[in-house]
Amino acid sequence: MSKLSFRARALDAAKPLPIYRGKDMPDLNDCVSINRAVPQMPTGMEKEEESEHHLQRAISAQQVFREKKESMVIPVPEAESNVNYYNRLYKGEFKQPKQFIHIQPFNLDNEQPDYDMDSEDETLLNRLNRKMEIKPLQFEIMIDRLEKASSNQLVTLQEAKLLLNEDDYLIKAVYDYWVRKRKNCRGPSLIPQIKQEKRDGSTNNDPYVAFRRRTEKMQTRKNRKNDEASYEKMLKLRREFSRAITILEMIKRREKTKRELLHLTLEVVEKRYHLGDYGGEILNEVKLNRSDKEIITPATLHNGNHHKIQECKIKHPHHPSLKEEASDVRQKKKYPKKPKLESVITPQQPTTEPLPVISKSDIKQYDFHSSDEDDFPQIPSPVSEPEEENDPDGSCAFRRRVGCQYYAPRLDQTNYSCENSELAELDKLRHRHCLTTLTVPRRCIGFARRRIGRGGRVIMDRISTEHDPLLKQIDPEMLNSFSSSSQTVDFSSNFSRTNASNKHCENKLSLSEILSNIRSCRLQCFQPRLLNLQDSDSEECTSRKPGQTVNNKRVSAASVALLNTSKNGISVTGGITEEQFQTHQQQLVQMQRQQLAQLQQKQQSQHSSQQMHPKAQGTSTSDCMSKTLDSASAHFAASAVVSAPAPSRSEVTKEQNTTHNNINGVVQPSGTSKTLYSTNMALSSSPGISAVQLVRTVGHSTTNHLIPALCTSSPQTLPMNNSCLTNAVHLNNVSVVSPVNVHINTRTSAPSPTALKLATVAASMDRVPKVTPSSAISSITRENHEPERLGLNGIAETTVAMEVT
Amino acid sequence: MAEVGEVTEGCRLPVLRRNQDNEDEWPLAEILSVKDISGRKLFYVHYIDFNKRLDEWVTHDRLDLKKIQFPKKEAKTPTKNGLPGSRPSSPEREVPASAPASGKTLPIPVQITLRFNLPKEREAVPGEPDQPLSSSSCVQPNHRTTKRKVEVVSPATPVPASTETTQASVFPQQNGSARRAVAAQPGRKRKSNCLGTDEDSQDSSDGIPSAPRMTGSLVSDRSHDDIITRMKNIECIELGRHRLKPWYFSPYPQELTTLPVLYLCEFCLKYVKSLKCLQRHLTKCDLRHPPGNEIYRKGTISFFEIDGRKNKSYSQNLCLLAKCFLDHKTLYYDTDPFLFYVMTEYDCKGFHIVGYFSKEKESTEDYNVACILTLPPYQRRGYGKLLIEFSYELSKVEGKTGTPEKPLSDLGLLSYRSYWSQTILEILMNLKSENGERPQITINEISEITSIKKEDVISTLQYLNLINYYKGQYILTLSEDIVDGHERAMLKRILRIDSKCLHFTPKDWSKRGKW
Repeated sequence: MSKLSFRARALDAAKPLPIYRGKDMPDLNDCVSINRAVPQMPTGMEKEEESEHHLQRAISAQQVFREKKESMVIPVPEAESNVNYYNRLYKGEFKQPKQFIHIQPFNLDNEQPDYDMDSEDETLLNRLNRKMEIKPLQFEIMIDRLEKASSNQLVTLQEAKLLLNEDDYLIKAVYDYWVRKRKNCRGPSLIPQIKQEKRDGSTNNDPYVAFRRRTEKMQTRKNRKNDEASYEKMLKLRREFSRAITILEMIKRREKTKRELLHLTLEVVEKRYHLGDYGGEILNEVKLNRSDKEIITPATLHNGNHHKIQECKIKHPHHPSLKEEASDVRQKKKYPKKPKLESVITPQQPTTEPLPVISKSDIKQYDFHSSDEDDFPQIPSPVSEPEEENDPDGSCAFRRRVGCQYYAPRLDQTNYSCENSELAELDKLRHRHCLTTLTVPRRCIGFARRRIGRGGRVIMDRISTEHDPLLKQIDPEMLNSFSSSSQTVDFSSNFSRTNASNKHCENKLSLSEILSNIRSCRLQCFQPRLLNLQDSDSEECTSRKPGQTVNNKRVSAASVALLNTSKNGISVTGGITEEQFQTHQQQLVQMQRQQLAQLQQKQQSQHSSQQMHPKAQGTSTSDCMSKTLDSASAHFAASAVVSAPAPSRSEVTKEQNTTHNNINGVVQPSGTSKTLYSTNMALSSSPGISAVQLVRTVGHSTTNHLIPALCTSSPQTLPMNNSCLTNAVHLNNVSVVSPVNVHINTRTSAPSPTALKLATVAASMDRVPKVTPSSAISSITRENHEPERLGLNGIAETTVAMEVT
Repeated sequence: MAEVGEVTEGCRLPVLRRNQDNEDEWPLAEILSVKDISGRKLFYVHYIDFNKRLDEWVTHDRLDLKKIQFPKKEAKTPTKNGLPGSRPSSPEREVPASAPASGKTLPIPVQITLRFNLPKEREAVPGEPDQPLSSSSCVQPNHRTTKRKVEVVSPATPVPASTETTQASVFPQQNGSARRAVAAQPGRKRKSNCLGTDEDSQDSSDGIPSAPRMTGSLVSDRSHDDIITRMKNIECIELGRHRLKPWYFSPYPQELTTLPVLYLCEFCLKYVKSLKCLQRHLTKCDLRHPPGNEIYRKGTISFFEIDGRKNKSYSQNLCLLAKCFLDHKTLYYDTDPFLFYVMTEYDCKGFHIVGYFSKEKESTEDYNVACILTLPPYQRRGYGKLLIEFSYELSKVEGKTGTPEKPLSDLGLLSYRSYWSQTILEILMNLKSENGERPQITINEISEITSIKKEDVISTLQYLNLINYYKGQYILTLSEDIVDGHERAMLKRILRIDSKCLHFTPKDWSKRGKW
């Protein structure tokens, strides 16, 4: 027996250990205790806990008995397994699938609300259910959204309404309940949530904060630097993505709100129309009643202009001051330039402005602020102030005057079927179309109505009648003999005469009959006068002012078109004196009044369709308009262009040096009350709008006179313009008409959607947008007609005056 | 004889407790908290040298006021008066450390008021300088920024750290040994530093918040332990058919801790405050099994693998539930680096959770289990061993050896020891002798076969007293009673993992970026 070495070798895990069993076992007394050789392994427990009574008891019991004894187990708090309502709670059965269950990680988060209704909620629900139907899930979704939208600050009722797509009453009820419940709630949220860490580290020792993010020191063994850098980048990316998402969400919400606003506005307009609240009295009353909160009053729709709008109340929530300030600035700019007669605008604009001023970026910018999904974006882009520097319309851009009023449409227009002669007469008065002839080209253009636009341009609204082919045959020469007499007809007498002639016009059949009507002054025919008449006319005009203001009501009801002069499109120079305008305008008023009546009947069918829908949308009107344009104006336009180069009648020209006294007008057929639409639509439906100065319909209370004007130009007219340049130099009278958009309309059956949109956008704006419609349109046109671009530019420089006859 | 009103936090006195044999005992207990419910005082007591899970609220008639010991102000008193082993941060040690630094009040409604009992009655310990207390006698229990590591190296620590160095035990096989050595004696350290007010002010002035390590799921260092986490906060949890009495603190939302019963959805483990809410939740929750992939099924037993990163809400809910029964589990960090293996038992209602273990996707310390738990209703029926066996089956597939994360709990130690013993003995007893020679085996071989880490094999052999030194070499001896005991135990062990039923492909997480 070898003497055992006192110190045993260390236990080698790689060395085989022989196993002795049972009777083979050596006498362990011979064995040396190995305690020193093999270090005692720790238990892996905390020392303090290791000494706990129950554990020690259990360990010793195990060592003694080699199995657990019931009394030696470590006691634990009891658990019960007798929840008797279990089967009622967990309904239904679940069949074990044959295959192993495999779950798609992204199928997990279904869109169920995290909030679970409690019995208190159920009481409310039962109460609410007496009045309306609300399902528990619906309620939970509402609370869930409210909870998740609130952080430290509860969402407001306004926000809640945006958040919840429910009935207002229901939202109010649930919201109030939620606020109350939230106040009584001990936790930070009605949806119990694990406390989150705070970034400032103040929660580092808060025992209730759990699941902190492991951001600070990521366990990065390899490429530590790399990992951290890319991790940072990912974080950044994530932040940016979420910001993009937020922005998109906000845009979405805004657009929805805008749509809502539009619908509401429509509704208000409709209601007001039915109530006859044209002056806005009822609206004001209503507003006053709920003036506790700032209400966004329905903004003007582009077709809602007939109503009086309190501009000052239309506050954009974000920029109320900005807006008012802006309009102030506008007025200051505008009014000093108008001498005595506010209605006549003689723009002092430089004739040409560099084209690039309005750029595509403007449009894009605009598009960003007001998305394409919106049919009628009306909220002015909030950041318009700086861009207005680039506004090509400059001081001539339209800005609605604060407190301006719109007048009610005449009620009788809905009463067409009524045979009441009085009403019919009134109607006819309003439709002031008169037979019109032009000096250059020398022909009769049928029935038209004139308006004066901004800058003194004369806009002719043509109307198509069944007599158009007939009227076309009329040679202005035929009327020459009595034209002067017709012009000097006093208004009052004119008035009666038109009334008298009403009956005749119904059955007008032949050319000779018309001519005889004209001769006998039963039918008024407008012809431009020679200039030597102007002095007397202007006197006449001023003397008759009171009378006109009376008429003005109707005039503005028919909507005065304001012309936006564009820097790049057509430049308008102040080549025409105020007196000339005055004179001319005077004529127009007279002529129209006379002819209106006669045309009335013929137009009824056409008008009624439009007028029955006072809030007809742009698109529908556009259809209607393109028809009329096609049928009526196309002929005229074509002939006008053709005949333009023809030597015009020699005119006395005082300002021969002004070569740019062009006020080109397009004659557009339109019902009076529909001028607004038609003008807009003509513009918007035409890709050639660039040429057409955008007419913004507006009730301008300072405009005392009805001056129809529409300035137009187009690539198509360019050659003509050039050729007749010399002629034009001699013309200083109010000039006509290059009916571009007619051309274009006939050519392009489908209106350019972008142009349409922009035009409508512009038209429906309360304030001048940073991209003015005309500029926007013209730039679009530039895109559309790239080859014609040069031509367009040329027009800007060599716009040619043409004479209206 | 003291009055009931004088019984404050930190007092120690015998408290009546009925043991599992239904006998009355009067173990020494420490008062952790006092609360007043409609005029009736309740005392939260921790039975010294019993596990925290037995802590409870008791009425005054269970207190033996005759033998009350009022808390000592001095730090070293507890170790000297022969009452070691209670949890660290007992109030009387806590006070001096935290009070000076924190004048702040905390947002948490403090139902527990810790009042330091001004030591009028305390026996002065000879040799110990009597340190007068600072004026503050009120404690914010959950405010402790003290980090033990800082304490050790802190030059500002005025009290010589003599006692704790001798008591600090070193775990040689743990690579975090330095930290652990420090951490192993948190209470003592704090005791030694209890008067070092400057230490705390230093802590708060440098503003660096202490945070636990980011790996692993368990804490042994109790730097984040405080009076809040020492006390159970949930009274009862209803989970499926079961009503569980939690053993430890769990950070469920604070507003839910006052409820008599916290309701959990049996399948997604969502916590709601009332039965009505649970009812509503169940109309929306269509889970009938843990939301993961089933990787094992035999009979009614299934295992589901859940990725802590991909399925955060379930993982967190599971952790919250598990924390109720795992003292050392930490929920400080998110669940991203863990996989959760949930064991279920199927019946017609669905796959009911029985227990689970979590596992780090990448362990630097050969851990194959982070936390492991059999839910109380299923305990002592072999499920724990099944979970352990399954965890080693996974390690076998991975071709690695593994060990559970430390520290082990008492029940964990017993279960693992039992599993190791049975597994190793099974191998040893099945060894056949080759060509007449005595069968032999290396420790490495055992480790390879079982995937049990070498150290655990050795400790088990030692624990079973199988290793002996005989004739210049180590031998393994299987005595009769060992063999008998093993055979008896194996007869009872019916539930086994069948490796053929495991459909598991380990993923190489290191190549998958971060978790």
